[in-house]
Amino acid sequence: MVKSSSLALAVLLAGLSGSAIAQDKPVLTIYTYDGFASEWGPGVPLKEGFEATCGCTVNWVAADSSIGTLRKVQLEGESTEADIVLGLDTAIAGEARDTGLFADHGLELDHLDLPTAWTDAQFVPFDYSHFAFMWDTDRMDAPPASFEELIALPEDVKIAIQDPRSATPGLGLLLWVKAAYGDRAPEIWAGLKPHILTITREWSESYALFLDGEADMVLSYTTSPAYHILDEGDHTIKAALFEEGHFAQIEVAGILKSSPHQDLARDFLAYLTSVEGQKVIPTTNWMFPVVDLGGDLDPAFADLPQPDKTLRLNEAEITANSSAWIEEMLAAVQ
Amino acid sequence: MLTLPRRPIRIASAAILTLVIAALIAAVLWAILAAATDAASGSRIDIAHLLRMTALQAGLTTVLSLAVGIAVAWALNRLRFAGRDLVVGLFAAAIVTPGMVVAFGLLSIWGRNGWINQVANALFGIQFESPAYGLSGILLAHVVLDGAFAARILLARLDAIPQSRLKVGQSLALGAVQRFTLIDWPALRGSLPGLGAIIFLLAFTSFPIVLLLGGGPANQTLEVAIYTAVRLDFDLVGAVRLALTQIGVCSVVILLASVFTPVPSALSRSTPPRWRDRRAVRALQWLVLVLAGVGFALPLVSVLYDGLAGGLLRVLGQAGFWRATATSVVIGTASALLTLVLALLLALGRSATGHPLGRTLLGIPAFAYLAVPAVVLSLGFFLLVRTLGVPIGTAAPVVVVIANSLLSLPFAVATLGPPLEAIMATRGKLIRSLGLSGWQQFIAIEYPLLGRDIGLMLALAFCFSLGDLGVIALFGTQDFQTLPLMMYRALGSYRSNDAAAIAALLLIFTIAAFVGLPRLVERIAHAPRR
Repeated sequence: MVKSSSLALAVLLAGLSGSAIAQDKPVLTIYTYDGFASEWGPGVPLKEGFEATCGCTVNWVAADSSIGTLRKVQLEGESTEADIVLGLDTAIAGEARDTGLFADHGLELDHLDLPTAWTDAQFVPFDYSHFAFMWDTDRMDAPPASFEELIALPEDVKIAIQDPRSATPGLGLLLWVKAAYGDRAPEIWAGLKPHILTITREWSESYALFLDGEADMVLSYTTSPAYHILDEGDHTIKAALFEEGHFAQIEVAGILKSSPHQDLARDFLAYLTSVEGQKVIPTTNWMFPVVDLGGDLDPAFADLPQPDKTLRLNEAEITANSSAWIEEMLAAVQ
Repeated sequence: MLTLPRRPIRIASAAILTLVIAALIAAVLWAILAAATDAASGSRIDIAHLLRMTALQAGLTTVLSLAVGIAVAWALNRLRFAGRDLVVGLFAAAIVTPGMVVAFGLLSIWGRNGWINQVANALFGIQFESPAYGLSGILLAHVVLDGAFAARILLARLDAIPQSRLKVGQSLALGAVQRFTLIDWPALRGSLPGLGAIIFLLAFTSFPIVLLLGGGPANQTLEVAIYTAVRLDFDLVGAVRLALTQIGVCSVVILLASVFTPVPSALSRSTPPRWRDRRAVRALQWLVLVLAGVGFALPLVSVLYDGLAGGLLRVLGQAGFWRATATSVVIGTASALLTLVLALLLALGRSATGHPLGRTLLGIPAFAYLAVPAVVLSLGFFLLVRTLGVPIGTAAPVVVVIANSLLSLPFAVATLGPPLEAIMATRGKLIRSLGLSGWQQFIAIEYPLLGRDIGLMLALAFCFSLGDLGVIALFGTQDFQTLPLMMYRALGSYRSNDAAAIAALLLIFTIAAFVGLPRLVERIAHAPRR
């Protein structure tokens, strides 16, 4: 009784909203973070590109952050509408894997071009960049070349960073410091403390503080300058390269076991990692593609200075320790 | 209290609504507990410390905001100048503008690189420590938001003081201080407990501002801790436990506020003043207004300036912007009308009962949304909708409208409550002796007198919904987005110029609603009499 009345309600509402559900085409529902699905993000061209061949409808559902997408499917469990979760990164992939919700993708991924070889059975990478602090040539003479140089700057040089509990770059910074300094990490955090203007919930708030001139540096990506060059013709914003090396964020997508559209989902991930799908990534998500685009990669990207050394931590270690490391960081900056 | 007309239907409706809201909150908490499969991992949060810090911050915010609100309302009530309506609209806009927009507006004035620092640097070559970060930053932002709201509500009470009373006061040659204590204070007093409770709860549960301006984990609220429990630890049992703590603390504040029998305030249409204070006092009023302008209005002006100078044309050219605007207006209108119905049911029921316990109980549901952590409510709604088996996409508009109505309910009741109490106190006997029915009483007496307040309430509710980011964040999709969500997405895609333009347009809509709606509704309410 309950079921049939709620079904009736659902049908009624679906009819009112005139959505695509009424049609026969299968709907591929993909959970992602809001920037990806926005009118400026890669979501729009990827939808168009894939729908042209799949005979299906792509339905983006945007959560407020990538961690938000994971929590959403965790809450929904088996009953989730999502076929794919897109936008997790390697730092939280271990946690996502442990939920047992993700299926094997079964794709051959040997055509990828990443800082590390890719062998993951469940997650498919679709873009990457190294974390880095941005600086503005109009406001700073020379950037620090390491965490230690940053710490040694006068105290009125302020940085904006993100909370590792809510933002993936915030977590990335934590892992970066850990990978570079190990047990000395609390010491580095204590040194950074006087320079921290504020710790924001999301990347976007920190970045806005930097653009408004409130913060002298901000935690972002080595690819961020490309946006300013290509969209604004502004060459003053640069990434500071650190001698100790940089931690990379690799964004991934995974298929849910509960999805009734396993083949379709696999086709989408294949499209996402194809040259055609990857072409849209740099100038919409402002990250590096995971395949070699050759001459199709805009020189604003191809010429960006990149770190010599990529720092790594293995997934099991991250999953086992991230809570303790967050506590350690919060204790040091509090 | 024998003079009150008997209104069993009004009391029963309010009581039923109270029960419905209580049941809704219970269902929300139940839905979260039902979804929590794992045993609670021991939460390491020091709740006592968190409560102390939060209560201190919220207490300071409340005292400062009320003081500032009274001063600004006093100055605005006395002064008449070109653009006064616009200034009043600007003040009202602060509370409903998304916290992020106000916070960034504040930073562009008060920040390290803000206008004040730039001017100081250019003129005197000095650079001072910005007050916009840490506890002082949180207080600054809260007082701007809540003080401006208090000023708007209190101004409505002062503007409603009958001309007759002012004439008597003037003929007695009252000084400025006597005039305030004898005429203004009685009109303000009735609104203060409810207003104070709202401000305390807003500050107590404040979230984005605390995170952005607080500087980091040292400045937290319980609400942030709950968010952390849900997001980071995925400890739903812990989140519900924290939420119950917050509901408990907030309930105490709400009970204290509800126990106060609002002192009936005067009721009349706003008219220009004929009684001017002395020159020195007028100078003080101007000073208050100028300071308030720098503190409150300038951050919002900077939002307008940044937005209109930047990506305005680009934003106006986007189809997505117009779709989001249409969605926002439809959602805002629907939730404003729903809020009006809910607030009238509660306030009419409350004003009809003479029993103190009844009054207190009927006063509580208005605050429901302020006491229950927003992240818990939206999460609970989300899970409830799933339990019912309705697809999120189709349920989203309904849920957003209901949630937005609950969000603006305390403000709506604070706006409509005191004037309704005043009508009962001053005209209850008359209504009883005339033997009017409840419906006649509403149409003939309450509605015409409430016109301007209903307009203000509709504007508040509409703009709250227009500016909401908390509820929509969990329910938005690519096809269902409102202006704040679009703004946030632009910010997340490096497009801070677009975000600034959307913020400015949001602000313009808000001010227009605040300037226009109260006048419009007052005109409609008085139309039958002309």
